[in-house]
Amino acid sequence: MPNSFDELRVRRIQGIVSTDDILPARIKHQHVDPKEFAKHVFSAHTPGFAGTLRSGDILVADSIFGIGSSREQAVTALLAAGVAAVLAPAFGTIFFRNAWNSAMPAIEIDLPDLREGETVRIDLVHARLTGARGATAFRAPPPLLLNVLKAGGLLASISASGAAE
Amino acid sequence: MSDTILDIIARKSGVSRPSAGDIVEIGVDRIYIQDGNAPTAARLFAEHGFDRVFDPSRIGIFIDHSVLAPDLLMRNRVKEAEKFARQFGLQFFKGGTGISHLVALEEGWFGEGDVVIGADSHTCTGGATGALAFGLGVSDIVAAMVTGRTWLRVPEIVEVFVTGHPVDYIRPRDVAFRVLAAHGQTPFLGRALVWSGEWIERLDAEDAAGLANLAVELGAFCCRLARTEGDRARNTPRITIDIGGIEPTVSRPPSPDQSISLSDAAGVPIHEVFIGSCASSRFRDVAVAASILAGRQIASGVQCVLTPGTGRVYARAMREGCIEALVSAGVLVTPAGCGSCVGTQGSVPASGSTVLTTMNRNFKGRMGNPDADIWLASPAVAAAAAVIGRIPTVAELVSLLHAK
Repeated sequence: MPNSFDELRVRRIQGIVSTDDILPARIKHQHVDPKEFAKHVFSAHTPGFAGTLRSGDILVADSIFGIGSSREQAVTALLAAGVAAVLAPAFGTIFFRNAWNSAMPAIEIDLPDLREGETVRIDLVHARLTGARGATAFRAPPPLLLNVLKAGGLLASISASGAAE
Repeated sequence: MSDTILDIIARKSGVSRPSAGDIVEIGVDRIYIQDGNAPTAARLFAEHGFDRVFDPSRIGIFIDHSVLAPDLLMRNRVKEAEKFARQFGLQFFKGGTGISHLVALEEGWFGEGDVVIGADSHTCTGGATGALAFGLGVSDIVAAMVTGRTWLRVPEIVEVFVTGHPVDYIRPRDVAFRVLAAHGQTPFLGRALVWSGEWIERLDAEDAAGLANLAVELGAFCCRLARTEGDRARNTPRITIDIGGIEPTVSRPPSPDQSISLSDAAGVPIHEVFIGSCASSRFRDVAVAASILAGRQIASGVQCVLTPGTGRVYARAMREGCIEALVSAGVLVTPAGCGSCVGTQGSVPASGSTVLTTMNRNFKGRMGNPDADIWLASPAVAAAAAVIGRIPTVAELVSLLHAK
């Protein structure tokens, strides 16, 4: 898993977002395959949005993202829909962990000047986001989470460390 | 004075003076998973080749979200959860036993000073008995099942100091949602929430659990209730709330932070009522609903569903005549569990309907239909609305509670 991501497409999301908004519980209880979840991303919140997502999209939220339920499937659904990272001023505590555990960066950043559809680059090590109108710094993710990302997720890192033996 | 959250973290991590922001690894005493996440946990075990758990006697699988599975897909997932429990010799709590958090309380799984994690955000309920209890996603849960450990970022403490004494029908949920409406989640996000004050110290076990359950709605990582004056947090950001004379709280759609006083919501027509969920399905909740509905009928055109939180609550409600009163009033009483809370078992609200429920969340689509408006209130307010077909005024509520 790389420490920087290029050619990311910005998708703006407005308002506080709950995990119920990201993936309805019913879908989580019906399936275990993230590809099934991906079809229903934001289905109650913004019908039709899932169909507009493509690989390399990032969600840029203007408020707290991922409050409520602990469902990690909200993260795996976004990943399966092509979302590479989520940027928000703050995250629901459990969602934040779930994102990094699933190897999807959740980046704490105060309202960057980004427009829908513009292309940006994220450098995790230097905690910098670069868009059309310059670079913005964000809170550096803790080394523990960068290591989890590098390993491809929490469970992959546990397999690799031999902690399960 | 009992252990503080930091005391528990110090003991379970071996870090003598943990300070806010530190990342520490801690040992875990109990782990549980509900039926919506157990099948994904099983998939992750298989994918990563994990073939054992650290201690099967400390891990529980609960069937509570889809007790009467509404479709074939969910029924098959429930069977996968059961098979997963059998495969690893885990504790298995079959459908009808009740909601994981409430059964865990009944079973003594939230020991004071213990670390308990659950694959469900309302695991914070365990803070009521002095456990360090918090919800996690399924990867974190699988990791802890294998290693017996997890990690946390040592939380800052935020204390809410409650003053004043409200009338007897004010419940902890009325207070918690009022704090959320006034402050939003920002002061609580990722922090350990400590409730303190004389009213808090006098809450009994049922109400303490009802309050701790809502910590995650405020955005908190975990929660505890100061049980004595000496328990109060020191040198931490303090929010105060005076609850003397407050009215019951009602939350408008589409989120609990849209909470208002009952008088400002009274008169809204209600088509469906659901009394249940881990927020409000203890014996007291069922009993107050039954006392309002006894000898009355729910309003014409209203559907009212009540789901006791646990099988034990259900059995006691039956012994004490509550169930007979509810059924005679026209209430649909369902097997113990999460009920209609997340649209994973009946009944799903009709399109265009307005629902009043005792759940802890009313996000759009929460109950399985984004075309229904969901309002939140206490069981007494919900039962009163079922009788009159609209959100009651304070006077109507009091009259239904006391006049027979």
